Amino acid sequence: MSLATNLKIFFNEAGNLSRFTGRFFKQWFKPRYETAELGRQCFVIGYKSLPLIGLTAFILGLVLTIQLRPSLIDYGVESQLPAIVGIADVREIGPVITALIFAGKIGSSIGAELGSMNVTEQIDAMEVSGTNPFKYLVVTRVLAATFMLPVLVMMGIAISLYGSYLGVNIHGVTSFHLFWKQVFDSLSFTDVLPAFIKSYFFGFAVGMIGCYKGYNSSKGTEGVGRSANSAVVLSSVMIFVIDLLVVQVTDVLGLN
Amino acid sequence: MAKKVINSVKLGAFIIGGMLFLVLLLYMIGKNSNLFGATYKLKARFENIQGLVTGNNVRFSGIEVGTVKRIKILDDTTIEITMIIEKKMLKILRKNAVVSIGSEGLVGNKVVNIVPARIPGPLAAEGDILNTRKTVSTEEMLETLSKSNNNIVEITAGLKTTVQRINNSNALWSLLNDESIPRDVRNSISNIRLATVKARNMADNLNAIVMDVRNGKGSVGTLLKDTSFAQNLNEAVLKIQAVGNEAQSLAVEIKQVVTGIQKDINTGKGTVNALLKDSLMTLTINTSLENIQKGTDGFNQIMEALKHNFLFRGYFKKLEKKKPK
Repeated sequence: MSLATNLKIFFNEAGNLSRFTGRFFKQWFKPRYETAELGRQCFVIGYKSLPLIGLTAFILGLVLTIQLRPSLIDYGVESQLPAIVGIADVREIGPVITALIFAGKIGSSIGAELGSMNVTEQIDAMEVSGTNPFKYLVVTRVLAATFMLPVLVMMGIAISLYGSYLGVNIHGVTSFHLFWKQVFDSLSFTDVLPAFIKSYFFGFAVGMIGCYKGYNSSKGTEGVGRSANSAVVLSSVMIFVIDLLVVQVTDVLGLN
Repeated sequence: MAKKVINSVKLGAFIIGGMLFLVLLLYMIGKNSNLFGATYKLKARFENIQGLVTGNNVRFSGIEVGTVKRIKILDDTTIEITMIIEKKMLKILRKNAVVSIGSEGLVGNKVVNIVPARIPGPLAAEGDILNTRKTVSTEEMLETLSKSNNNIVEITAGLKTTVQRINNSNALWSLLNDESIPRDVRNSISNIRLATVKARNMADNLNAIVMDVRNGKGSVGTLLKDTSFAQNLNEAVLKIQAVGNEAQSLAVEIKQVVTGIQKDINTGKGTVNALLKDSLMTLTINTSLENIQKGTDGFNQIMEALKHNFLFRGYFKKLEKKKPK
């Protein structure tokens, strides 16, 4: 395939995704809200992801602390360990790692679920039965992903900071209270709020791409696999792209 | 339906848990920057704020009581900082407290230190401008250090030449190497020791004498201490004075006598006057004396004649025979 063809495919995809996103916003504000389905999706996407996110976040906090310790000892600022882990966790590692795990778990499940529904023509059946499939399947999932990821990120930060607290106490002794005080003292609104806000975008990107890939999967069993796979890959890439954009914006606004 | 309720509860707990952490995080940050709770503002003016930024902590005697809210440039040499201080400090912080800029550790964040003055003063109210003290910045410290280094270089250079001169000086080394010096010094010291012993003895003796004198022993003691002696002395002096008076009157009488005699002599009375004043008498005496001389010459001739006279020759021969014996 030539470069021109590749570019053509890329722009075609981008255009389709944009139209799909536009359709989402159009459908979202239209009445007849699928509240019950939204709640169910929130439970599945948010609550069910918590164990995985919690485990990875805990390990991440613990490992980050243990890994940072020797470098900080070299500089003689071992006492700043909670502050440094706190800033790293809240600003970057918490949101991004949580979003990546979330993309792996939720992006693939949405892609596969909608892909298989598309393959087995359930979506068409739904349309025939009078239910708006886009509203019922896509809007609820995207909204659930958008609103659940920030919650998961906050949970993940809390759990990873607890892991960090344990990590600090492997070699040294720091009281629970002092640890949290040092973490909170080192943080400011400009650390927390951009991180919190960008996790909405991460969630939205994961939900949107998962739904797009699943909703537009090619026919056949392999189409389901491909849509699940590309949903994860694309949403992971999008997470980093959004991260890059957010950091540029906060930098320009002087929030760093 | 029952399962769905449990799901909602779990979901609700999950969401509230996540949001609670966010709220806690934001609250703690807000609390750290004194967004909540009653505060009041104080100001201070500096020439150089050494990298202080808004949000840095304000400490009162080491306790965090607020944050730096605003930094404003008033003119090219004055920078005004506005601090928000917890309201509870209204009853503690006084207007004469001194504000300075320090840092948390050697390379840490800057902090504003408020140190209370040890003298009473009015309490600081909203918007008051506190006194400031200029603190030594790292650059100034290094500048001073560099000056000190230059001085040390000069001093060590001087020391070096001094030591070299000492090393090159034969006199000093010979002095140091001369083994007789310590011996001499030792002898001198022993002499000094002897001398001091003697001096001490002398001082002891002197002391004893002084003690004797004080106690009235010896002639000096008697002189100084014996009251009866003093009285005697006094009497003696009085007698001497009386004798002196008598002598004076005697002298007056003698003078009168002498004066009388002088007058007599001058006026021509008595023998002395005749002797001294009468020229005729002198002449008479002279003639008399001449006559006496002539008389003795004549007598001598007569005596010669007598020797040769037979009557007395024998007597004179006897005299001459006796003479040689």
